[in-house]
Amino acid sequence: MRSPHLADIVIPPSRQREAARSSAKWIGKSIPRVEDPKLLTGKGRYIDDLSLPNMAHAAVLRSPHAHARIIRINKSRAEALPGVVCVVTGRELSEVAASAVSFASPPITQHPMAIEKARHVGEVIAAVVAEDRYIAEDAVELIEVEYELLPVNSDPEIAMNATGDGVIHPTERESNVAYDETFDWGPVEEDFARAELVVRRKMRWGRAAGTPIETCGAVAEYDDANGYTVTSNSAFGNFIPWVLAGCLKVHPTKLKLIGVNNGGSFGTKVLLHKIIILTAGLARLSGRPVKYIEDRLEHFLNSDGHGPDRYYDAELALRRDGTMLALRFKVVDDYGAYLHFSVGTNGNPLAQVVGPYKINSVGMRLIAVLTNKCQQGPYRCFGAECANFVIERLVDAAARELGMDREALRLHNMVQPHEFPYMIPTGNIDDSGNYQAVLDKAKTLIDLPAWKSRQAEARTQGRRLGIGLVTCQERSVYSPTEWWFLNPVKTPGFALTSAPEGVQLRIDGSGHIYCQLQTPFIGTSSETMVTQVLCEQFGVAPGDIAIGYSDSHTGFNGIGANGSRFTVMVAGACVSASHRLKERLKRFGAHLLEANTADVEVVDGAVRVHGTDRHKTIAEIAIMANFFRKAFPDTPEFDTGLETTAVYDHPLATEPHPERKHLGIFYPIMGHQCHIAVVEVDEETGQVKILDYAAVHDVGTVVNPMTLDGQVVGGTANGIGTALLEEFIYDAEGQFVNANLGQFCMPSAHDVPHIRTAHLSTPSPFTEYGIKGGGEGGRMSAPAAIASAIEDALAPLGIEILQVPVPPPRLRALIRSATRPQ
Amino acid sequence: MKPIEIAFTLNGKPRSAEVRPRVLLSDFLRHQMGLPGTHVGCEHGVCGSCTILLDGRSARSCLTFAVQIDGSEVETVESLGTASALHPIQKAFQEEHGLQCGFCTPGMLMVARELLEHHDTPSEEEVREAIAGNLCRCTGYQNIVAAILSAAAKLRAEKETTV
Amino acid sequence: MKPAPFDYTRAASVEAAIALLASAGGEARVLAGGQSLVPMMNLRIAQPRHLVDVNRIPGHDYVRREGDELVIGFLARHEHIRSSPLVLEACPLMAAAYDFVAHGPVRNRGTLCGNLCHADPASEMPAVMLATHAEMEVQGPAGSRRVPAGEFFVGLFETALRSDELLVSVRIPVAPKRQGWGFHEVSTRKGDFAFVCVAALLQVESDRVVAASISAAGIGARAVRLLGLEQSLAGQPPNEATFRQAAEDASATVPFHDDALVPGEYRRELLSVLARRALLDAAARALSSDL
Repeated sequence: MRSPHLADIVIPPSRQREAARSSAKWIGKSIPRVEDPKLLTGKGRYIDDLSLPNMAHAAVLRSPHAHARIIRINKSRAEALPGVVCVVTGRELSEVAASAVSFASPPITQHPMAIEKARHVGEVIAAVVAEDRYIAEDAVELIEVEYELLPVNSDPEIAMNATGDGVIHPTERESNVAYDETFDWGPVEEDFARAELVVRRKMRWGRAAGTPIETCGAVAEYDDANGYTVTSNSAFGNFIPWVLAGCLKVHPTKLKLIGVNNGGSFGTKVLLHKIIILTAGLARLSGRPVKYIEDRLEHFLNSDGHGPDRYYDAELALRRDGTMLALRFKVVDDYGAYLHFSVGTNGNPLAQVVGPYKINSVGMRLIAVLTNKCQQGPYRCFGAECANFVIERLVDAAARELGMDREALRLHNMVQPHEFPYMIPTGNIDDSGNYQAVLDKAKTLIDLPAWKSRQAEARTQGRRLGIGLVTCQERSVYSPTEWWFLNPVKTPGFALTSAPEGVQLRIDGSGHIYCQLQTPFIGTSSETMVTQVLCEQFGVAPGDIAIGYSDSHTGFNGIGANGSRFTVMVAGACVSASHRLKERLKRFGAHLLEANTADVEVVDGAVRVHGTDRHKTIAEIAIMANFFRKAFPDTPEFDTGLETTAVYDHPLATEPHPERKHLGIFYPIMGHQCHIAVVEVDEETGQVKILDYAAVHDVGTVVNPMTLDGQVVGGTANGIGTALLEEFIYDAEGQFVNANLGQFCMPSAHDVPHIRTAHLSTPSPFTEYGIKGGGEGGRMSAPAAIASAIEDALAPLGIEILQVPVPPPRLRALIRSATRPQ
Repeated sequence: MKPIEIAFTLNGKPRSAEVRPRVLLSDFLRHQMGLPGTHVGCEHGVCGSCTILLDGRSARSCLTFAVQIDGSEVETVESLGTASALHPIQKAFQEEHGLQCGFCTPGMLMVARELLEHHDTPSEEEVREAIAGNLCRCTGYQNIVAAILSAAAKLRAEKETTV
Repeated sequence: MKPAPFDYTRAASVEAAIALLASAGGEARVLAGGQSLVPMMNLRIAQPRHLVDVNRIPGHDYVRREGDELVIGFLARHEHIRSSPLVLEACPLMAAAYDFVAHGPVRNRGTLCGNLCHADPASEMPAVMLATHAEMEVQGPAGSRRVPAGEFFVGLFETALRSDELLVSVRIPVAPKRQGWGFHEVSTRKGDFAFVCVAALLQVESDRVVAASISAAGIGARAVRLLGLEQSLAGQPPNEATFRQAAEDASATVPFHDDALVPGEYRRELLSVLARRALLDAAARALSSDL
């Protein structure tokens, strides 16, 4: 019945060394964050806090046109302005910088500064380096550019059919369709043929982006002897510095990348290759250290981090008894002017495309269209939030058409607790879960029966009160196969399969533990996570641990904090490193205690002999191990020092089928959420007020419930914005009309209600301590939950919510159409 | 555009400086006064991460020219506490997990301080209104509200013990 | 986003400020609160060659009653006005509208007069000035003049103020005892500029509307009085049916501002809905004050 190819996938045995446990001392405790003191007192050391001697400042000239050839640039007036160090054009930058990074295959070339033509409003045309940013911006205004306007393609439906000068990358793609592939995972056609009901809907997911309060930036220096040193708020860590060195046309050893604390990323600061290359190139060409920080306008227009901009045409096939059979959809995604993450944001959702339901087969046609807009990049959930929206809307529509209760329809199809690990048609697995229990918990948390009777009463008064309920997956810990497995099979590109995370641990002569991370802090409590795991491992207290950060020369493999992977992966690396160090501690300690290594263990900050009081503290051992070599035997295991580097690889990933009949296991540490939202709609104005909201999340073992709740609430707030407020508006001329924080509206304290949260834990059998990732949080479910609630409120009018966002004018338009007398 | 001399009080200390008229107070504090705790998120007066106290009242430092503070009192997040001696409001933020990335936090702390100096028992509504002009992308505001309410209680208790 | 260079002078008096404005030949702008001007300067949409800082001119931050007028000086900050018991008593419409204006830090610095001179089409206070029949006291090199609110707001970000004039104060007739007020607004978030807002003042006698003053912002290039609506209510019973019909008729005839963010049809509907709601509130208040 299922795809025969799924049988090829062998679920690797678990490599878990530390099981989930209720006796944990530190894992599961809501300790205050170790990051906070510096952040609370203005000592966060963000990128713009960094200053180097003789540093100059860059400002950029942004294209005012969405599509135009650059004919001539006259920089003489700009160069003549006092305080200007130099003015650099795209052609000049290309002498020291090659093109930026692209995971697309075949690639789509992007230069950090446009050379022949501008492909979207805001693209960098030239840059000024000056003594300060004020002067740099003055000089930018003096640069004269002659453009030849080209046809603008702002609407993907139109862009798809553009020819001639309307084609955005004519040497690399014949048209603006960058990608058009169809996949079947399982017997999709047969399943649709035997369906007794097919529910079909078109849905629209509007463009927005992470929009952290801190924009992106870098500080770079160059000299011939030391090469490049670039500090930036990239969240990607030290994974591919050698690639960036290639972009900068230097030997890999001549680029050092340094990370800093990050004022929020939400995907936007993953990689940042363009900013790094641009700033570094300016440093080299100007002969000065250069700081470039995007201002807010630049960030909107040019961040390379816009979110999905999708048009779905989706169908769900079912039997009359409510059994789901198959899901099939066509998605057109407007990727903007480049394709640096390939179509990864459409590969990602395939990890959980069927939601928590047992659907037999999945078919997808994906069309990626290039348009004259800023390109897409990572945005919290990386496209999976759209898939959640699609399946949950279809399920509600099916419930209506079948005359079935929407909870009953979900329960009828949900994976059962005894069926884990469960493989979905695309090949990914859900490692553990109890979806039914999460639903029950959410219903109790919000007292659903009470709201249902309030709703009944409200309806008698003509008030539009609605209850939304969604049950969604939250995949965590990705394998990078999703970046390339949808690329054409013959040309997958850089088909990497490593997705590691590393830590370095050292115990110094005073017995304190120094942990070096290679991933910068982005707000997600990474230092606290590590502290708690190490405290658990060694039996020490948070004050005994110092967290530091490596750079690309001193660091080790790691992808960084994204894709809800960091806590799981760094916990794995910490466990590996801790186990090794504890072995050394035991060896040194046993010698000092004149005991056998097999008879000692590390407990409560000391090496203790079983069944006795005899022990040596870590500090007592550490001073000896670091300074007194001759106190120990002359064999290698007693070499001076207590330090180790450990890299932890993905604990549960397999490769995709050579012809993509399945995608392998690529995102299997599967969290689950149930969100229930209660809203009231003002029918006359289209305004939505959220009256109550409950979010129950299963992210396996929770390291710090307080910080996990922070992710849930923050992600839910983000998702409320996605549902009700946030949309980037590009007009037909490709002008980004609302590129400011006054008109692109993110939720304020008035827009986010008090969110009730609760957890339920089905530990992962595959990760250390059973932890699952939860960082993408409530954004996975909230848009669908709010849409579901509004739809329920307006059910008497027969209105369906198949689009986000629905700000008041749009919602009012839907109501108007439904209520206009025929 | 000649530099202008200004004299002012900064975090309780008398200071003086020379500044060109168009330099924004946010840049002046961060780069000329060596106080990077005040953050810049938008420079059009919406995000609130640049919020400081000017003559005791919260104000956007990105919408103020440094020349304007001549004769005024300016207080930034650095006036509150230090890592080893956190101000009660800062302590409350840590206890209630009222920050994640920390970028909006200095602005939140300053409006919280202003609110609590004028209302010792604010309601949740009043707290939300006070921080409504400060955008946070991380927390969803819930814990910030809890932190400010907790800080109010701490400050009331402090007042009672010192009376 | 840094502003373009400018010369800066701190004016010590109103006369000095006016002299500076006059000598700058239209190239100077007044810096009071700066909450509207400075964002525009940071975005380089506005690039004044001279800024005349009026913030230290003493004696003009008053909110006071002069006979049957509420008079507000040009340095009175929004927050001061918003929390003034005098304003609550003399002009409750304004106090209520202030609930929708920006946020604390912006209100601490921004001034009412600065906001009026900026004349944002979606700003609340211009609508309140129109509804209350306020008068602007303007001073220039040739002396003072009074400009009724109805003549002050001329167009998109455009007022009757000449480039060498300063708006020195605003004079608002104190609300008569039996006048009811209503103010409604829809915006994306609380504190944002309005999609549409409506301010309504009503007087009722013997169950008939005897006086109505209704204005709106957000529906076009500037805030406007809804004169047609006012006329249609004269002598009518102050009930839901009257207001619903009158508001619907009025909104059908007003030309609407259509843009990429908000369709004109939505503004039209909002005007009808918000006018009705504001009138209902005003009538309820007018009638309850009768007792």
